[in-house]
Amino acid sequence: MPASNENIIVAEDLTISYDLHRERKKLIALQNISLDIKKGEFVVLVGPSGCGKTSFINAISGLIPKSGGSVKVRGEEVTAPGPDRAMVFQDYALLPWRTVESNIRLPYELQNLGLSEEEKQDRVKKSLELVDLTGFEKSFPYELSGGMKQRVGIARALATNPDILLADEPFAAIDAMTREAMQAEMERIVMETGQTCVFITHSIDEAILLGDRVVVISYRPGKIKEIVDVDFPRPRMNNSEVKTSKKYAVLRDHIWNLVKDEAMQTTRGE
Amino acid sequence: MSKVADQITYETDDPNRIQDVGWTFREIWRRTRGFVVTSVNLIIFFILWEIVTTYGNINSLFLPKASAMFQELWVGMTTRAPEGAVFSGSILDHFLHSFKNLMTGLGIACAIGIPGGLLMGGNKYVESILSPYVWALASLPRIALVPLFILFLGFTTTMQVTIIVLSAVFPIIINAWAGVKTTEKSLLAAAKVFGANRTQLYYKVVLPYTLPFIISGIQQGIGRGLIGVVIAELFGGSNGLGYLIQRSADTFNTAMTFAVLLLLIVMSLSLINFTRWLEAKVAPWRNVNHL
Ligand SMILES: Nc1ncnc2c1ncn2[C@@H]1O[C@H](COP(=O)(O)OP(=O)(O)OP(=O)(O)O)[C@@H](O)[C@H]1O
Ligand SMILES: [Mg+2]
Repeated sequence: MPASNENIIVAEDLTISYDLHRERKKLIALQNISLDIKKGEFVVLVGPSGCGKTSFINAISGLIPKSGGSVKVRGEEVTAPGPDRAMVFQDYALLPWRTVESNIRLPYELQNLGLSEEEKQDRVKKSLELVDLTGFEKSFPYELSGGMKQRVGIARALATNPDILLADEPFAAIDAMTREAMQAEMERIVMETGQTCVFITHSIDEAILLGDRVVVISYRPGKIKEIVDVDFPRPRMNNSEVKTSKKYAVLRDHIWNLVKDEAMQTTRGE
Repeated sequence: MSKVADQITYETDDPNRIQDVGWTFREIWRRTRGFVVTSVNLIIFFILWEIVTTYGNINSLFLPKASAMFQELWVGMTTRAPEGAVFSGSILDHFLHSFKNLMTGLGIACAIGIPGGLLMGGNKYVESILSPYVWALASLPRIALVPLFILFLGFTTTMQVTIIVLSAVFPIIINAWAGVKTTEKSLLAAAKVFGANRTQLYYKVVLPYTLPFIISGIQQGIGRGLIGVVIAELFGGSNGLGYLIQRSADTFNTAMTFAVLLLLIVMSLSLINFTRWLEAKVAPWRNVNHL
């Protein structure tokens, strides 16, 4: 399903800052971010480490307060998390005392999604299949590898079948082969369900392959440096023409240079 | 729904990945090693003790023979005082008295300490009101309070239990409090994102996270409580293991004194090992490597 013209997430002049209590100062993580995201759109955020990507999706999810501007989802100001927005966490955030299956079922216990027991079981099973963890239902997170934990986090988010998927570097700890397969799955799910996805990655290839738009964020304070449209036809995964095309190389180079400029600032320090 | 597995060709599900270890000699040794080493160690220790006290020129008033100590322990644990006796020479009677007091004291300490600590962690007003008192009392050597409580309550069981409660309650409060305070932010965030309200945050995240902390609090409470038991009985009363130590030393029955000390060690270690086991049981993810 292609992106419609209806905006689902609207950020206007969004500013996020953190109090640094020790120094009686505050750190401005994101400054004046304005971004409209259309329903069904796949938006990828890239930028150097510490530029405020996680802060941005935390603001969309309603986990952290804004210090200025606004974020609206379907026209309503975001004040708290809601069942329409699921999140894949950068640090997995699995409850260590729960098994894989029980972790994936957590959302069902916390809120009434109006699902029957069979539907729940079916969804858990399918999302586990999707991330290739069938057979690990009864394992505890501490018995899994980093990449496996990350995949449980993905399964948990997908099992809620959200309208909006906020994914914070969801494939960062996963090996290249599995990663490619999961990228294809991600693209397929988003195409099939019409989910809106805000996706963070450090991989420029991943950004181009998955994103309808790639938003490059600058280093401290994070501002939108440039928004790059990517209009390859979908599905792009498993389509070797995309990666070998001239346009791909040009895009990759362009985004690479944008991010590199910013990353250089990081290493130069402040 | 197409599976990721269909697209990956390398093997991920080799059925031999999980293999049965079986009861090899190594496996048996791995499981019993600790027990065997400790037993042999202790046997050698007591044999050396016996040899030194038999052949060395050592006054049995200061160091009794190991066998005399075991003899005293055996007799003391297998006999009871006759009905209506004023003073019991039976270790078992005194042990039961002390053990009952310890358990009552620990029970009360848990009943106060767990909710208290949870409240302090969960509510910043309660925290700022109570924390100065908690820290003040926790840092005061509890032994300094004994004369005061003897004054208030006399040489009674109530006094002894009060001392035990005061000794054990603070580690429990402080650990429960710390558990709530250190609950991982990302776990709370995940629960919030997936729809937890405030009550659910407590029941589904904070409490399970804090449980192992509470158990370590109780573990420290047992150690402190045991000190409380002995101190309370040493100072006042005519009952309990602390009193028996005092009395046997006064009557130059050193074998009895050593027997009671050994019993205290065994009791303390058993209780502490029980809480360790419990901790490993309820929180295997913490994977605590005990020293
Ligand atoms: N809870 C916090 N308290 C104080 N400062 C914070 C907090 N969270 C983030 N920051 C600061 O805000 C800035 C942006 O952080 P954020 O986590 O959004 O970065 P990011 O772009 O996701 O980085 P990465 O790619 O490394 O995950 C950082 O400089 C960080 O120091
Ligand atoms: Mg981040």
